[in-house]
Amino acid sequence: MNVFGLPILTFVTFFPLAGMLVVLALPGSRSRAIKLAANIFTGLEFAATLLILTRFDASSGEMQLIERLPWIKSLGAQYLLGVDGISLLLVLLTSLLTFVATLSSWGAVTSRLKEYYAFILLLETGMVGVFLALDLLLFYVFWEVVLVPMYFLIGIWGGERRLYAAIKFFLYTLFGSVAMLVGILVLRAHHHSFDWTAMVAAGPVIPAALQGWIFLAFFLGFAIKVPMFPFHTWLPDAHVEAPTAGSVILAGVLLKMGSYGFLRFSLPLLPAATRRYAPALAILALVAIVYGALVSLMQKDMKKLIAYSSVSHMGFVMLGLAALTPLAVKGAVLQMINHGLSTGALFLIVGVLYERRHSRLIAEFGGLSSRMPVYAAVFLIMTLASIGLPGLNGFIGEFMILMGTFPVSWLWTAVAATGIVLGAGYMLWLYQRVMFGKIVHPANESLKDLTIREFVTFLPLLVLVFWIGVFPKPFLDVIDKPVEKIVRIVNPTHFEVRR
Amino acid sequence: MIVPAGYSLRPLAPELALFAAAVTALLVHLFLGKRGRRASGYVALAGTGAAGLVLALTPPSAEALFGGNFVVDPFALYFKSAILLAGAMAMVLAFRFFDIEGSEAGETYPLMLLAMIGMTAAVSATDVITTYVAFELFAIPSYLLAGIFKKERRSAEAGIKYFFLGTLSSAIMLLGLALVFGLTGSTAYAEAGPALGGSEGRAVLVAMGLVFAGLFFKAAFVPFHMWAPDVYEGAPTPLVIFLSTAPKAAVVALLVRAMTSLFGAYREEWSLVLQGVALATMFWGNLAALTQNSLKRMLGYSAIAQAGYIAIGLASWGEAGRTAVLFYVVAYIVMNAAAFGLVLLVDRGGRFDESIDGLRGLARRAPAGAVGILVVLLSLTGIPPTAGFMGKYLLFTAAVEKGLTLLAVAGALNSAISLFYYFRIGKAMFLEGIASAAPEAGSQTQENISRPVSVFLAVSAAALLLFGLLPALLTNPAVSAFLSR
Repeated sequence: MNVFGLPILTFVTFFPLAGMLVVLALPGSRSRAIKLAANIFTGLEFAATLLILTRFDASSGEMQLIERLPWIKSLGAQYLLGVDGISLLLVLLTSLLTFVATLSSWGAVTSRLKEYYAFILLLETGMVGVFLALDLLLFYVFWEVVLVPMYFLIGIWGGERRLYAAIKFFLYTLFGSVAMLVGILVLRAHHHSFDWTAMVAAGPVIPAALQGWIFLAFFLGFAIKVPMFPFHTWLPDAHVEAPTAGSVILAGVLLKMGSYGFLRFSLPLLPAATRRYAPALAILALVAIVYGALVSLMQKDMKKLIAYSSVSHMGFVMLGLAALTPLAVKGAVLQMINHGLSTGALFLIVGVLYERRHSRLIAEFGGLSSRMPVYAAVFLIMTLASIGLPGLNGFIGEFMILMGTFPVSWLWTAVAATGIVLGAGYMLWLYQRVMFGKIVHPANESLKDLTIREFVTFLPLLVLVFWIGVFPKPFLDVIDKPVEKIVRIVNPTHFEVRR
Repeated sequence: MIVPAGYSLRPLAPELALFAAAVTALLVHLFLGKRGRRASGYVALAGTGAAGLVLALTPPSAEALFGGNFVVDPFALYFKSAILLAGAMAMVLAFRFFDIEGSEAGETYPLMLLAMIGMTAAVSATDVITTYVAFELFAIPSYLLAGIFKKERRSAEAGIKYFFLGTLSSAIMLLGLALVFGLTGSTAYAEAGPALGGSEGRAVLVAMGLVFAGLFFKAAFVPFHMWAPDVYEGAPTPLVIFLSTAPKAAVVALLVRAMTSLFGAYREEWSLVLQGVALATMFWGNLAALTQNSLKRMLGYSAIAQAGYIAIGLASWGEAGRTAVLFYVVAYIVMNAAAFGLVLLVDRGGRFDESIDGLRGLARRAPAGAVGILVVLLSLTGIPPTAGFMGKYLLFTAAVEKGLTLLAVAGALNSAISLFYYFRIGKAMFLEGIASAAPEAGSQTQENISRPVSVFLAVSAAALLLFGLLPALLTNPAVSAFLSR
């Protein structure tokens, strides 16, 4: 299918880049036009990603809508894009959250607008490219393209310690990605190609010992991005200092790039090493679940609390991947989407308060529910979604992960379940301290409830939270086959036992 | 007169064009008085362009000319073009430098041309004696160029330092070349090379070590780099661009010829040496750059570190390695020239500010130049989609293919380290305001942002992006540089 003469996947990848050029071409003084253009572009981009659905065959586990062009012939690198159910959901999540993030920036960002929206649009191209690229070199290029705009988003529009947070984010992730680059090179030396589809088709040609080394190189790249314990220390700084839209994209999409990397590359391309290191991954994931939750409990800053809760939630995702059962992996994929929706929304919720009061300290608030009823309702729904209340999206994902992990190890499941309890603890306690009680601070007396624009920003997230919570079938149908395909490669014994 | 085969002057046309330009520039400088200074610069730039044109028309051939002294193969032509590119970039920026600093020395331009003749001849040399003569021909003008800015004490100091250490290293190299002759009884690579392969190993290794030491010195490979930071800091910026790019390209070509023609039988040994040099150069350059506060000194260490990446490709010489080296040499020239070009972007009160703090908030005042320099920094760090990434990628691939995976890991680690100091520049320009610097900037000194330098940076950035996205533009000539050999 073509859009304006371009194949659809190429179009959705580079449409935001075109938007960036348009935004840059607008005169800097026309701030309204710049905002409008950026919102239109991210909105149209979301619509364009929805268009993929019309040509997507959910009953297939194979890569679809493949676009293949020679890129650097001498290296065997290709311009190779393709989509399966896993990428599809993540691309939709990306375009939705970027749209939401631009919408939320309307009033929040006032300085250097042109650069701000240009960076967001550039970021979107990078993120969409990461989820669609099937050539490892192309994937690496998109992966790195993401770093630069995020560095500037944190560094220019961030909070007090933005300079420190920006360079820490950049250094940490670059360190991981150069390790991944070496892994890609070694992989290529054995496959003589960067083509993911060809590598999967070729099967396990790499000796197990070497797979281990490549796995570790990939691990550094992906684990820092997720972030897995003990590589998570960049995350609280980056999330807290980033502007609201930056935090939404960072938590909602960028972290998923790490878990997506594990699922797309480490698992099917390095099956022997994955099986060998899966228990280690699972244990690191469990540490993250519990540690992230405990640290969240004692935060005084709302944004920091949500940042640490991401460490815990991404721990669930990684546990699901490490369990290597179809159910757990499917749960992990769904949980990536869930976390993107609910945590993205929670960062927006904090952003709403920050815009009004310029504070994120929990102690500054209290009793807001009486002044901001609509806000209170949205906050409550998102809190419950994050905890995993049945009927909302978080429950489905976490439940699938736990159920899929149980046959592998009841102990892992038990430890992970404590994370849910702790999660309920810190989230409900946060909600109680901010929304209930008496208004202590006089400035909170006159707080305004959500405006129409703000409510519209939350609306798609609310719809999806309920939709996935009540009727997740369409989402699960899409990822069913591709996940099974990957698990069959990495953990074939699982299927033998059942037969 | 009938010229015997192999003795026609036609293959020397680029060198002759440079020589004619050098003489003309010198005469213009002599007879036009004060105006002649700049005029000699224009003559030199035009001469470099003419030499480039002649170069493009010179047919490559593997034939040994002048009794086996000289060869104009595609490999030599590739490096000659790179050297002319470096020279032209440096000259353009020299105009800007002397516009602001004054005290323009008209002999700068003829000296640059003479050095370029030496370099372009050196990359063609296939004889021990020609090699040495060409080597000295570019070494001696280099010493003068480093010290040419007599107004500045640091420049004179740089010139002296470079001269003493440089002559020492030339002498060491000469000793090595003499040993080659002594061992083989021949000065031509074509005869000496095979003879060395059959002669007593230890003496050959000594000869190789001495020759390499001289070359490593000129390329500022660690541990022969001590002169470089001082010279790069002290010499006038456009000449630093010249001295940190063109001679390195020439030395890489000389090294390649020495490795493959003279010491081809000792591959294991020189690969080991170059692996060590690559590691030492990358780590030393990058770690030392971390601690610098002067922009020029930091970029000086960066130039050292960048040469270390090239050494990775030399150590893993082969089909992949040579493409990578040739690619990276050109990428390096553009990146390095643009990075030092940043120093010339802003002048305050007739001086260039060489501190990193002086760049604060520049992104708002010079957006085009700032975006350009951002791409250059990404390229230096090795982040896609830039030429620097593609070059590093090619180098690391070459290392992995030769089984030197650890060298690739070290290279990758170094690019992560280098991010920290490269983005001190990015941070100062984009993230930091001029809040603290504003009062003094406003009241005492007038800040000027040079439009030509902005354009220069933007064009360099565009080239780096182009080579990064379509590396075939450079790898195709690089690959064909070896077809006839």
